[in-house]
Formats: sequence, structure tokens, C-alpha cells
Amino acid sequence: MPKDNRLEQWVEDYTRDLYSWAFHKVSDTELAKDLVQDTFLAAAEKIESFKGDSSPKTWLFAILNYKIIDHYRRKVNQPILLDTQSFSTFFDDEGSWKPEMRPKDWDYEDTELLDNPEFNEILSRCLGELPEMWNATIRLKYILGKNGEEISQELGITPTNLWQIIHRAKVQLRNCVENGWLNN
Amino acid sequence: MNKLFLSCLKATELIEKKLLFKLSVQERVQLKIHKMMCDACTLFEKQSNTLGKAISESSKKENVTIDVNNLKKDILKKIGEPE
Repeated sequence: MPKDNRLEQWVEDYTRDLYSWAFHKVSDTELAKDLVQDTFLAAAEKIESFKGDSSPKTWLFAILNYKIIDHYRRKVNQPILLDTQSFSTFFDDEGSWKPEMRPKDWDYEDTELLDNPEFNEILSRCLGELPEMWNATIRLKYILGKNGEEISQELGITPTNLWQIIHRAKVQLRNCVENGWLNN
Repeated sequence: MNKLFLSCLKATELIEKKLLFKLSVQERVQLKIHKMMCDACTLFEKQSNTLGKAISESSKKENVTIDVNNLKKDILKKIGEPE
């Protein structure tokens, strides 16, 4: 059977699933399309090495997952900069919460908030306002469901750097969500 | 740094670290003591968990809204192009 036909059939069969997966991992339509397209391009190049040990679907998903991680890795691949200055916004010199920055009670049940469209809108806006690298580490943890060891290995950063970044990201994110939520 | 008493900065760092890595016994004790005395950091932890859950779930709720047939056509065109 000619190679091209095989690949064409896979495009027909798996594009929807691959796209849906990619979209849920990156939350960006154009980016997700690109990732799926790149996946098939890579598959076209490597198809001779595909021996059929796994199903084509498994093989294509493995390529896609590699592309997704690679996307995040490139985002994070810049000098890790943790300025202490942004911290003085939230904590005083002793490391105590500044009075106006102390977490306030949102007065809610988890289930109410998670289903609340306004809350989710605020959350998504606040995530978008985070520096790219912070956003990427948060997504790797919560959307790709990776653990600390995996994320720091895949991104090539130390565990300490990783939790420090996530900590800063969370402090800022929490504050942004609180302001949006309590003032709406 | 005091062995028993953490600052809120350190405590919130441990709260986030705990979600990614295992804390040492000393860190666990320090964090526990801090949270017993500090409402703000206790709230921080609760809200941090809520945010995590919300982020995990929000990605599942988003629906596929593109025309998959167009995407298929684009891909077929790309892989059909001569090198």
C-alpha cells in the first residue's frame, strides 16, 4: 500500500481527536491547529520508521504530546528571573502579608465557584495576565497533570526554581481573581 | 530564620511546594504550626486549591469549535506538497 494513502486515512480518522486533545492542553485554537499540522508533517517524515508496533493513533498522539511539551519548553526557555521586587507588593520586609494584600474570604463553596461563568471568566483573564513562563508552568501542572519531577525535568529547571515560579504565579493569580471576584 | 515560626512568605511557599514535591518532616511541622496561627495563610491554601481545581476543570469544559474538515484539508495539502 502506498504510504501516502495510509497517512491520508489517518488525517481523516484522527484529526478531530488530535485537535481536541491539543486544544484542551493549550487553550488556543490557532496554536492547536498548528500543533496537529506539525504532528502530521512529522509523521509524514518519519512514516518509514513506523513499524506498526503500536496503533497509528497511539503513535500520532505520542508525536503530538512531544510537540505540546516542546511548545511549553520553548516558552520557558528563557533566563529564570525571580525579582524580589514584585514580592514587596504582597509581603513586607519580615515576610508578613501587607494588610491590604491579605487573602480575604470569598465566601463560597467550591462547587458553586467552579460552575460560575463569571468566576471562570475572571480566572481566565487573570491567567492571561501572568507572565508567559508562569502561565506555562501552571498549565503544565493543572492541565497536563504533570507532577513536580516531570515538569522540572521537561522544562530543564531545578525543582526549587519550579515551586518558586509556581508560588509567585499563584500569589499573583489569587490576588487578581480575588479583586475581580469581590468587586464584580 | 526561626526554626518553628515561619513568615507568611515562607508558609505560602511551602503550601505551593507541597503541591509539587514532598515536604520534609520539619517543613510539614512548620507549616502546620503556622496555619494554626494564621487565618490568612489558611485561606490562601484553600483558595489555591480551588484555583487549581478550577483551572483543571476549565480546560475540560471548552468545546471544539473549529471546522475540522477545513483543518483536514489544510493538513492534506501540507503533507501533499513536494519537499
